[in-house]
Amino acid sequence: MKKRGKGIGISFYGTGYGNGFPDVSKAKLRLHDNGKIGIYVGATEVGQGAKTALLQIGAEILNLSTENLLFISEDTSLMPDSGTAAASRQTYNTGNAIKIACENFKDKLIEISKEELGLNSTHGLMVEKGEIYLEFFLQKRISFKELVNKYGDGTIEAEGEFIAQTVEMDPETGQGAPYWPYTFNACGVELEVDTLTGRVEILNVRFAQDVGRAVNPRLVEGQMDGGFAMALGYALFEDLNLVKGQIKSNKFSRYLIPTAMDMIDVEKILIEDPEPTAPYGAKGIGEPVMIPVAPAILNAIYDATGVRILELPVTPERLRKAMDTKKNEGNFNMELNALKR
Amino acid sequence: MVLEGVYKVRSIDEVVELLEKYRENAKIIAGGTDIVIALRNEKITPKVLIDISSIDELKSIKDEGEFIKIGAGVTFTKIVESSLFQKNLWGLYKACRLVGSPQIRNKGTIGGNIANGSPAADSIPPLICLGSTITLASKNGKRKVLLEEYYKDKANYGMKEDELLVSIDFKKPTENRVLSFAKLGLRKALAISRISIATFLELDKKGQVTTIRVASGSLGKYPMRELEVEEFLCGRKLNERTIDEAIKVVQQSMDERLKGRSTLPYKRVAVESMLRESIGDGIKFLDGVRA
Repeated sequence: MKKRGKGIGISFYGTGYGNGFPDVSKAKLRLHDNGKIGIYVGATEVGQGAKTALLQIGAEILNLSTENLLFISEDTSLMPDSGTAAASRQTYNTGNAIKIACENFKDKLIEISKEELGLNSTHGLMVEKGEIYLEFFLQKRISFKELVNKYGDGTIEAEGEFIAQTVEMDPETGQGAPYWPYTFNACGVELEVDTLTGRVEILNVRFAQDVGRAVNPRLVEGQMDGGFAMALGYALFEDLNLVKGQIKSNKFSRYLIPTAMDMIDVEKILIEDPEPTAPYGAKGIGEPVMIPVAPAILNAIYDATGVRILELPVTPERLRKAMDTKKNEGNFNMELNALKR
Repeated sequence: MVLEGVYKVRSIDEVVELLEKYRENAKIIAGGTDIVIALRNEKITPKVLIDISSIDELKSIKDEGEFIKIGAGVTFTKIVESSLFQKNLWGLYKACRLVGSPQIRNKGTIGGNIANGSPAADSIPPLICLGSTITLASKNGKRKVLLEEYYKDKANYGMKEDELLVSIDFKKPTENRVLSFAKLGLRKALAISRISIATFLELDKKGQVTTIRVASGSLGKYPMRELEVEEFLCGRKLNERTIDEAIKVVQQSMDERLKGRSTLPYKRVAVESMLRESIGDGIKFLDGVRA
């Protein structure tokens, strides 16, 4: 027999290292030949889209299209440390560092342009589309190309550093505010349990996440699909099968992860409530996706079968066993009640 | 032992010649989906590999009127794409469709599925239900073996070290008979079957079973006929009560065969779903034929 159920899981998850741990991101900008600007950050692209989202942030602040930017990362001899690609922190932390570096770089360009244009002050100087110009007297202008030709490739540079605000929890009480900011989300799952085989089939999923600002909505959705697939494996498939400390599922024919056939289209809802301390309001959106999925699935299984599962993954065998145990307990209670009467 | 060479051959004669020469030091490779893994894990250490993937004779499916003959080198994809395994041979189509992933189905062959000898091989229970025979060739000629016996009685009917599996053939079922199949895997693709059940069914006008064959995978050391349940079902009217009882009969067979196995408690309950699905699909098809 097939039984259907629905369940919801909700979560909030802090961006960055948190808990008082120093969380520092650095960025450097340099003016290069042809007036291109190089963004130097130690942010590693691990498929999350760092190279895209961080470049977008730089382009937005510098008022340049991305073709006029160079993004240099993943070589520690060339760039400052931007911390790890972990804790869902790169867009927020390194994004902020880039933002600061860009502002500093613009200030530097304006300072140099003041001298080059023979002006008294930096007031009214604007940076736009590869040029610095005086807002109320447009003939006073100089291009990035002219500057680099005069000063040389890579000599005009500026740095930026962002240190996230994190507070260590009270070691005695475990109380405090360890993270800032937080990402909020909710996941709703509808599924079907085959009561004979114990197999669970996911039918519908709706996933909503407050991302602050979606710097790149397609990438955010990609992270949501990927996070859901990973959580699906965690909830239903991935079993190390430890026997006396030995991993029995020591190959991928035994350690099962969901295939494309097991994944379903997740209905994704992005909620944008910009975070004031974030670059354009963007918060960490990768890891949080994974958190509410297993609770939602377990709640839906409970809704479908009345069985509370307390051990992951919910393999067909485990679910079938739990359903049998519940049935036996039910019979036992009935008998007990009959005796009492 | 270090692999000394690979022979890429074009004819069956060449293969049997090489098998005669190298005997247990030679291994046949077709799609390689099982054997490459075994080689890498050093579970087998042959001196030479004989690659039969370019022998055209092994790669065709022949409709011979009363019979269908499948070359041992025919891939699962080819079976899935063939028009021969629709309608009342749907069970074989379904089993081949559930093998591994598209990549594995593109390379893996039905002959390899038999020769590898896994109890979980997807295509075997349907082939056993069809009463398939396999043809084995050696330098000394050819012999035919019932697929069911091939597994059951290795000493007499198993493959000898100088033999090559050439083809599988079976009689086309008449329109009033149907082959169906059900598989329990732990995910929707790339899943090794935990249980598989194939049934071959014929009903008379009153819904009574006139012919029944049931074969299982992963319920023993090799794929096999489930004779007790066949005997129970033969001559009975196929209704809910009969199927309920048939399930109990299968469970009893399993209790004896798989006694003490840690997988038994789950398999004995989950088998219900597979038997219901397979028989149910068969009844549905035959109802359609009679209607």
